[in-house]
Amino acid sequence: MSLRGLVKRFDTTVAVAGLDLDVPAGSFYGLLGPNGAGKTTTLSMAVGLLRPDAGQARILGYDVWADPVRAKRLLGVLPDGVRMFDRLSGTELLAYHGLLRGMDTATVDQRSRELLDVLELGAGNRTLVVDYSAGMKKKIGLACALLHAPRLLVLDEPFEAVDPVSAALIRDILQRYVAGGGTVIFSSHVMAVVERLCSHVAIMAEGSVRLQGTLQSVRGDRSLEDVFVQVVGGRIATGSELAWL
Amino acid sequence: MAVADQAPVVGTLTFVRLKLRLMVNGLRGRGWRVALFVLGIVFGAGFAVAGYAIFAVPGLLRDLRVAGMLIPLAGAAIVLGWLFLPLVFFGVDESLDPARFALLPLRRGTLIRGMLAAALVGVPAIATLVATLGMVDAAARLGGPLAAGVQLLGIVLGLLLCAAVSRAVTSAFATALRSRRARDLATVLLAVVAALLGPIQLLALAGAQRADWDRIGDVAAVVGWTPFGAAYSMGLDVIAGRAWAVPLKLMIVLATLGVLLWWWSATLERAMLGAATAARSSTDRGGAPVAQLLLPFLPGTRFGALVSRETRYWWRETRRRASLITFSVVGVFLPVTMAVTGTGASGMLLFVGALAAVGLANQFGYEGSAYAANMVAGVPGRVELHSRVAGYAVYVAPLLLTIAVVLGVVTGRPATIPSLLGTLAAAFGTGLAAVLPISVRGAYALPDTTNPFALSSGGGLAKGLLSFGALFAAVVCTIPIQVAAYFLGPVWLWVGLPVGLLYGTAAYLIGLNMAANLLDRRMPELLTTITPR
Repeated sequence: MSLRGLVKRFDTTVAVAGLDLDVPAGSFYGLLGPNGAGKTTTLSMAVGLLRPDAGQARILGYDVWADPVRAKRLLGVLPDGVRMFDRLSGTELLAYHGLLRGMDTATVDQRSRELLDVLELGAGNRTLVVDYSAGMKKKIGLACALLHAPRLLVLDEPFEAVDPVSAALIRDILQRYVAGGGTVIFSSHVMAVVERLCSHVAIMAEGSVRLQGTLQSVRGDRSLEDVFVQVVGGRIATGSELAWL
Repeated sequence: MAVADQAPVVGTLTFVRLKLRLMVNGLRGRGWRVALFVLGIVFGAGFAVAGYAIFAVPGLLRDLRVAGMLIPLAGAAIVLGWLFLPLVFFGVDESLDPARFALLPLRRGTLIRGMLAAALVGVPAIATLVATLGMVDAAARLGGPLAAGVQLLGIVLGLLLCAAVSRAVTSAFATALRSRRARDLATVLLAVVAALLGPIQLLALAGAQRADWDRIGDVAAVVGWTPFGAAYSMGLDVIAGRAWAVPLKLMIVLATLGVLLWWWSATLERAMLGAATAARSSTDRGGAPVAQLLLPFLPGTRFGALVSRETRYWWRETRRRASLITFSVVGVFLPVTMAVTGTGASGMLLFVGALAAVGLANQFGYEGSAYAANMVAGVPGRVELHSRVAGYAVYVAPLLLTIAVVLGVVTGRPATIPSLLGTLAAAFGTGLAAVLPISVRGAYALPDTTNPFALSSGGGLAKGLLSFGALFAAVVCTIPIQVAAYFLGPVWLWVGLPVGLLYGTAAYLIGLNMAANLLDRRMPELLTTITPR
């Protein structure tokens, strides 16, 4: 995936200001940034959900905005803060996504069952997705993104609100996916996860990429958290305020 | 931990200010919203001026009898309008969602007073007030300052009653619909209430037709003693020398208001707690995933999946279900009442057919940002819209058939059933042609609540007017069918069905093409407009 000069303004605020990002094929890419840095906006523009004011987004060579059909076929997306068709049961939702991607029914049935089984969502479960817990929603969303075996996975906060056991499971799935030749980019603000999983990282702040490269080149011999705080320039200790606490 | 001890002082005005601030912020920097808002104001002003003029007429004529008929009945109609229009058409402005106040240390009385005051700030309330001021005008001309003063008190109380009744009923209904088991009960209740409208209308129309003015006068006198008309008829009693009736009617109105506010506050409490939705029992029904999703007879393709999802959504999503049920009741009763009272049912059929299509006016708004899934999968606009219409038609087509059959049977002319169905199909098709582009261009976000009547803040009324416009356009576009039916006479009975179907299909295809092109160009923009903020 390669993003060139992406710009997005909302009314008067600039959410993303001329962002360049290269995600090499086969990499496990972590996109870091504080709240409001523009991670979700960037990923939305990269997958064709939000029209950029300027700039280009390419996925494996196809321009997302000029040739959306080819680009979207190679893409699996887990958006954050976006509702799913949550009045379907998990099983129905998976089948829906499979058919929407033009897969044949036999493949949809077989893969859905496997995914539901592995993610411990239960193939016979008739609970509607709207009644799922936050962690289960993430898992079914991930299953929907994986179902058509995309070449590139774009995940927005995949580990948020997920319990440790499920998180370990998701990590394992993603690692197998990358080992099998897939590319993953995900956004997060949990340093530990990024440090453990990623081959590459980029640190965003105020709508632009401040630092990007392989994990080693970004981190050097310090911890990722130190680098992050230094790059973003946040405040990490209180002074004399809040004395009433 | 130190916590301030003094109780917070929150005045009623705070709520009004909050509402105004939300309105202004909703309009800021969005040209089309401002335009729609202005349109809403223009319509409101039109209603206000026309209402004032009509209510002032008896005063100008110096005719107490006309006043005695017009004012109580019109007053009752206004209250009923406030009761039913939000349920049917516009939805309630939920910008002050009670759930948002749940964590604040507010007394319930403060909250109710504040929200009632906030409900009075808005185009509908002001338009109603101005229109009913015409009654004060009439009372002043007929009975002098005392009558005018009493009537003024009456219309102010009447407005409070209107606001309270609309908030209380929608709040109660929404709360009831929140838990799944109560939902079915509530829908039946709505059907019963709406069904009661039929006989009332029948009575009124039958009375009007026979031009039996004395009987209307009697009805008006009775209505004047019900909570609906009591507030508005107080001035009349002073004029007619029945001053003793005023305190009694005042008591009726105040008691009704009290009961409504109590009821509202009781349901509000539950709304604030957000009654937990009982999880659906997860029984293992088995079956292959695809088979679980698809409806019978649909192919295992993208189109099949879209239609199946859409069909399930019309039933499982409360907002959609509410609109479906409301339409079913209105759709059956309106033409039947018209037919029974002998006024032109066929014109009503055009309206009903087009009204069916209006159900899709904000089809994208219903599911909100979930539409992103279809975008990521690259569903073309044509397939998207076609499947949505097909999913909706699963419910509407049998309904239209039922309406045609019931109407044919009720009027005692079963031979007309095919041609009636033809008229309905033509109206539905043209309605879709008008509504589909609006559903893409004029979509708006619905708040992320389970309240089936919630509309987002700003321009709620105006958006409702947009679907009104579509309705009007559709009815105008079916005039050729109406003319054909009139001139062809008996031949129409035979050709009505094929011609109507053809007309409707052609119109639908034209509209579909327009809307599909629009959607292909505007998918990301559509997603942005339907995502609740």
